Amino acid sequence: MEVTEVKIAEPKIKMKRSIIDVDIHNYTPLDEIKRYLPRAYRDQIDLWGWRLPGSLYLNGGVKVGQMTDSTPPGGGFPGSDLQFMREQLLDRYQIDYGVLTGSDYSCQASPDLDYAAAVSSAINEYTLEHWLAKESRLKGSVFIPKQDPLQSAKEIHRVGSHPDMVQVIVSSGAEKPYGHRYYHPIYEACVEHNLPFTIHVLMEGVGINGPNTGAGYVSYYPEYRASRPMVMAAHLASFIYEGVFEKFPTLKVVLQEAGVFWIAPYLWKMDEDWKALRFQTPWVKKKPSEYFRSNVRVSSQPLEPTPNPETFNQMMNSVYANETLMFCSDYPHWDFDSPLRAFPKLEDSLWEKIFYQNAADLYSLPARGAGKEGAR
Amino acid sequence: MSGFLVGKASEIPEGDKKIVVADGRSIGVYNIGGQFYAIRNTCPHQGAALCTGITAAFITSSGTGSFEYERDGEIVRCPWHQWEFDIKTGCMVIDPKMRTKSYEVTVERYDVSIEDQDVYIHL
Repeated sequence: MEVTEVKIAEPKIKMKRSIIDVDIHNYTPLDEIKRYLPRAYRDQIDLWGWRLPGSLYLNGGVKVGQMTDSTPPGGGFPGSDLQFMREQLLDRYQIDYGVLTGSDYSCQASPDLDYAAAVSSAINEYTLEHWLAKESRLKGSVFIPKQDPLQSAKEIHRVGSHPDMVQVIVSSGAEKPYGHRYYHPIYEACVEHNLPFTIHVLMEGVGINGPNTGAGYVSYYPEYRASRPMVMAAHLASFIYEGVFEKFPTLKVVLQEAGVFWIAPYLWKMDEDWKALRFQTPWVKKKPSEYFRSNVRVSSQPLEPTPNPETFNQMMNSVYANETLMFCSDYPHWDFDSPLRAFPKLEDSLWEKIFYQNAADLYSLPARGAGKEGAR
Repeated sequence: MSGFLVGKASEIPEGDKKIVVADGRSIGVYNIGGQFYAIRNTCPHQGAALCTGITAAFITSSGTGSFEYERDGEIVRCPWHQWEFDIKTGCMVIDPKMRTKSYEVTVERYDVSIEDQDVYIHL
């Protein structure tokens, strides 16, 4: 039987209004990054390879974690082709602004601090030149060698004031929980440049970073995904109990891709413990949940569906979604959240906060429709 | 002067307390700086015998790693969950920045008077 290929037309998407997407993975391939490295590192790479620690686990989708349909028509890697990203994501879903979060966090697990710093700078240069300069809707994240806070601060001072850089980004995998005073030079620089500090899951248990659970290493990819909230929870508690938000009251921290609703019972627990144990950390002046509301933001993907709508609404209230939650798609990763279908129907004012205003406030982005270039 | 006789004032020196049962209620009577205060010996949280807890200071801080002592001897920490109550007001103390602010949780307090060296509580 002969089969003729039929070209299926993309269904027309009808968005309520334009939105902001705070987690878009543009591909930052090492062979592109290499050009921005100092000669010594280029020579080393030619002789001995990249020596960057990689993931221990499987992923979803194809090509290590990508949506099957996200490969550009030209055949490049998903997230590598700006024009295809415009068509498949930005134009299609009326995304006014998208925050790029890169694709390679491996330098943040490297024991070689200077090399990690050089790779971070190279990623930033590549992103500025090949992405941010070409598309005004896209904003960038400053990669830093977080295992060396002083060099991290230097990198934030170097590129952090660029108008298209809107946050600093690190992997959730770390040597110490991020509230620790070891990291405070990073927050000083973040505050100076008015940049949120974003923790994105990845690199837990890899290279110099601690294992992906306190119980040790997990075995499988879904189990690794299940461990992500635990690591993120450790960072969240660390920021609160180390007094970071008392020391840097204007610092904003964003939790990315570790899920959302686990935060609710975690805050309940911390609030209860604070009543009992306040005097052991008297520099924690407010309930932990109050610091969460004032200083922490959460991006939505991968949003957990709940057994029923009542529970969903209760959980949304319990994580103060109206103030703290920002939509993100995680394009082009396999567990992409559709702007249309990831959330159930929301009350309009809440939709507006989650899909636009909370991100606009955090990243100082213009109100909808303001300051648009004609070329859309 | 009607009231429940707790005992001689000299029985409760400064910084000390006496727990008595009055009218079926267990009550802790404290001497703080020569003044007497009385609160119910029941924690409003989960019912522990509050006044058997440690009498402490309110510890505050001017930054990570610093501990400063305030209101020494004016705070009781519940023996079970260590919630802190101001003995003078019966309020659960939380926010050092707002001295007068009480938490939603308070413990019943009683007036105390001294007559001829005897301490009375008024229920």
